[in-house]
Amino acid sequence: MSSSIYAKPAAPRIILRPALVSVLLHVLIIYLMTVNWSGSEREIVRTKPAPKVINARLVDVSEFRPKPKPKPKAAPKAKTKPVVKAKPKPKPKPKPVVKPKAAPKPKPVVKEQAKPEPRITEQELAAIARADLARAVAEEEQAAEATATAAEMAASYASLIQQTVINYWSRPPSARNGMEALLAIQLIPTGEVVSVSVLKSSGNTAFDRSAMNAVEKAGSFPELQQLPAGEFEKTFRRFRLLFRPEDLRY
Amino acid sequence: MQEQLSLIDLVLNASFTVQLVMFILLMASVLSWYMIVQRFIYFRNARDEMYGFEERFWSGIDLAQLYREGNEKASDGHPALGMESIFRAGFKEFSRLAQENEMDSEAVMEGSRRAMRVAAMREEERLERHLSFLASVGSTSPYIGLFGTVWGIMHSFRGLANSTQATLATVAPGISEALIATAMGLFAAIPAVLAFNRFASKVDVLSNRYDTFMDEFSSILYRQAYALRAREKRAG
Repeated sequence: MSSSIYAKPAAPRIILRPALVSVLLHVLIIYLMTVNWSGSEREIVRTKPAPKVINARLVDVSEFRPKPKPKPKAAPKAKTKPVVKAKPKPKPKPKPVVKPKAAPKPKPVVKEQAKPEPRITEQELAAIARADLARAVAEEEQAAEATATAAEMAASYASLIQQTVINYWSRPPSARNGMEALLAIQLIPTGEVVSVSVLKSSGNTAFDRSAMNAVEKAGSFPELQQLPAGEFEKTFRRFRLLFRPEDLRY
Repeated sequence: MQEQLSLIDLVLNASFTVQLVMFILLMASVLSWYMIVQRFIYFRNARDEMYGFEERFWSGIDLAQLYREGNEKASDGHPALGMESIFRAGFKEFSRLAQENEMDSEAVMEGSRRAMRVAAMREEERLERHLSFLASVGSTSPYIGLFGTVWGIMHSFRGLANSTQATLATVAPGISEALIATAMGLFAAIPAVLAFNRFASKVDVLSNRYDTFMDEFSSILYRQAYALRAREKRAG
């Protein structure tokens, strides 16, 4: 013990433990950083070839589309113009025309036809009207048939689109049963995808993102070029695709 | 490398300046953590010692007895620390001056007070050691890291000017490696700033306690000095 109070007191040295702690901490952090980076990379590679059990379903959206709705209807109108025109017009003004004639039904039609061709007799007019009516009915039936086959075609193309999208879909690992993402897809007649957007999110961004990616990767469905323009407008100009992972085993 | 852009690759492929900056920051981080842990242990010891000594001091023990205990402890290799060293300095000076008859009580008090003040200053100095290093790491290492980042980005954009096709892939690795420097700077700075603030407030608390103890102890010494001189006057 030194006699002077001003002598520097011998302080206990604390060196070993802090040095150890500090070096260990840094080594650990560097190790974790490097392992994490390569680790996450490896995980992505592993999930890619995993079997995909998915179910993408086309949703009929004719009632959801406000814009394209008038378009497909306009097309059939053009085809059956004379009949369609004749039908709605007499309805608002049947009375003034009916007065001289007994039969109320063919009357409005006759009146319409009579204007452009005033020299034809009433019997002829009636016959023409009946023939027109019959033709209109036949045409309507034909159109109905056509739309039926078109609907079938549309359904088959829908399943084709669905299959294509499924092939491109790589489901994220966070996907769970019960998730549903509804996408709005816009196509042009060449079958190319113009825009994709999420209508109803599944709540999982990665899942939504993967669904959008699948559609974007699919890019175009050139088979749609074979579809009649009207049918394309009606069904595929804008449509919705529902994504949901089912039969997931975890 | 394109497939797995790992941290190690980025650091190894960085330009020399950026590597230097990263090295400096790594060293700063290692050293500041060393000092953080070292200060932590030191402050914990100082606090434990202070509580232990205060308890013994106010337990009514004879002061000369307490001083002798300290002597024994010092010879065992446990030198006095913190409050005890203040007590020892003050008591030693007091007993030395009290033995000299020509000293009056004021002079005795003055001397022991000065000794205690010196010891307290020395203790505070010991508490504050390394704190300035933490403060400077906390304030400058973000700037060092920023410098590395700016330099690295400068570098990668210059490379972009030379290439004919400007793609994101040509600049992305350079920027990524440059940003590591900023990340490291922040990594070094944040714990250093936090630790500095915490330790600075601890130093304040401890030195306040030392000041209080000095006042209490000198009032006890004052009483003893006057009693001693009064007895001597009656005797002599």
